[in-house]
Amino acid sequence: MRILLVVALLLSCGRVMAMPSIEIIIRNHLFYPSELTIAADTKVKLIIVNQDASAEEFESYELNREKVIPGHSKGIVFVGPLAPGTYPFFGEFFPKTAQGHIIVK
Amino acid sequence: MLINSVIIVLREVLEAALIVSILLAQGQVLSLPRVYFMLPVMVGAVLAVVYASNIVAVSALMGGVGQEIVNTVLHGLIVICTMVLIGAIKKPQAKLIIIFAGAGCLATAMVRELAEIIIYINGFASVPSLLSSVLAGSFIGAGIGFSIGVFFYYLIVGMRPINGLRLSLVMLGLICAGMVSQAIQFLMQADLIPSNGILWDTSAWVSEHSIIGQLLFALVGYEATPTAIQATGYGLALVLAFILAMQKPRCDDVARPKGVK
Repeated sequence: MRILLVVALLLSCGRVMAMPSIEIIIRNHLFYPSELTIAADTKVKLIIVNQDASAEEFESYELNREKVIPGHSKGIVFVGPLAPGTYPFFGEFFPKTAQGHIIVK
Repeated sequence: MLINSVIIVLREVLEAALIVSILLAQGQVLSLPRVYFMLPVMVGAVLAVVYASNIVAVSALMGGVGQEIVNTVLHGLIVICTMVLIGAIKKPQAKLIIIFAGAGCLATAMVRELAEIIIYINGFASVPSLLSSVLAGSFIGAGIGFSIGVFFYYLIVGMRPINGLRLSLVMLGLICAGMVSQAIQFLMQADLIPSNGILWDTSAWVSEHSIIGQLLFALVGYEATPTAIQATGYGLALVLAFILAMQKPRCDDVARPKGVK
């Protein structure tokens, strides 16, 4: 049982380690970069770093994702595998400025 | 910023207000003391402050997906309490179970929804120029949310007791199914279950951005682009709620309106 757990953990780690990751910075209520390009049918780890003092909520109806990123902290959101297309995302707390999109090719 | 605050706070308050109003109305129909429901609301509010105050630490847990895990647990608790409540409501001897399940549901719903409002408003403490409009918008949003809750409360208690109880069970079943769908979404976001392709896309008919979409989200867990796992979880929760609710209600209680001996 213990061996199975270790194998499962190693497989899980290997899966995460092999996964591409992209860092998105929130600064002055803007996303940097605001446009990301990822490969189709690929799972991607988004590391969202909020450099503002105020919290922000990373949200995308198209990606079915929502996560509060407190001020001066970071959060992780996994997206995909996705079909080719454009997937907008925005900061729910500052939606007029905090906007971006993911292009899947 | 004012309109945005109205929408954000309305969405959060609406979910909690619906659960609180439905359970309060059920308590009224079943002649349960209101203190059993007000106490957990206050406990939930205190726990929401604790959760919101520790959101940074919670987010960092389990490799950065602690928030998703906590939210999944909160949704799971609401679902369990709601299902227990639905199953117990027709049993004359289950008054204590109804009270505890209702209390658990109320406290958990308060933690989940109120914590996000606190995080949102607290975030603007560092932006004084926007704070007044955020507070005003939040106040308006909360007011609209409470009003809708009050509307459903009086709708349920104003009906014949048996029909009021039926409506409240249908609403709880739909809210419960929505919670299951949301919990699955959090697990996919944390990469703990596969995030497969979407099953259908109804965003062209009712966008989740729209007011109607937000209202449907709170009422029935509307999701414009659900995955197969979400749709399956939603369906199974509805079936389970239906099976639990199909048994005859507590005729001895519901047939006798409050104050009539």
